[in-house]
Amino acid sequence: MTILISTYLIYLALSIALTIWVARTLHKNGRVFLVDVFHGNDALADSVNHLLVVGFYLINFGYVSLALKLGYAVTSAEQSIEALSVKIGMVLLVLGGMHFFNLFIFSRMRRRTLTRNHPPVSPDAFTATAIHQEA
Amino acid sequence: MLALTVLYDPECGLCRRAHDWLAEQAKLIELHFVPCASDEARKRYPVLDHDLTKQDLTVIGDDGAVYFGPKAWLMVLWALVRYRDWAYRLATPELLPTTKRVVSVISQNRYQISRAAGLNG
Repeated sequence: MTILISTYLIYLALSIALTIWVARTLHKNGRVFLVDVFHGNDALADSVNHLLVVGFYLINFGYVSLALKLGYAVTSAEQSIEALSVKIGMVLLVLGGMHFFNLFIFSRMRRRTLTRNHPPVSPDAFTATAIHQEA
Repeated sequence: MLALTVLYDPECGLCRRAHDWLAEQAKLIELHFVPCASDEARKRYPVLDHDLTKQDLTVIGDDGAVYFGPKAWLMVLWALVRYRDWAYRLATPELLPTTKRVVSVISQNRYQISRAAGLNG
């Protein structure tokens, strides 16, 4: 096995492991947000959560795959580590960006439902209702 | 708030048509329709000025909050799944004066509009 192939294999293993770790974190901790957004509708929250994670995997694995090629010869262990650090660094930045984008979506969904529960205008007056009177 | 009571004018064709339309819309909170100044309305709201409710649409929340005229229209929109965003948009400080003017004109001329549109049958 040439040193270039080992570099590629290490790159793939690390990238895939990192992506799975971030996706799992997102899946586990994003659920609470979504259950709140959908007013305790667990089935809908789980479904949206799953769909978001699938999108997350597709974008990240897509990037990992596209960025695989080094384009220059790697002949020593030193060069291999340098190449790996650049590649893994880029994968980490993309993962970070995607992660914050997902957080942004979660928080915006949540804010939307929070503000939307207030009437758009203030009342002109208050009146006693028959139900209140009986009480 | 989980329910709104809408005190509408049963004499006006436009209001009846609006009532039919509302009945078909998907709602976020319940809407109860009660003819204004009826026995039912007086029973539900014993201390409300019922002569005033004949002049313009009145909406009352389950907490006793009274919304009159244009505000009542916005509250009804707010109750609907498809129009809640619009209720907020029309209630912003920039749009509220226009909303109030348009709604008042429609409301004050509701009998003429009903006649012109042939909704009195």
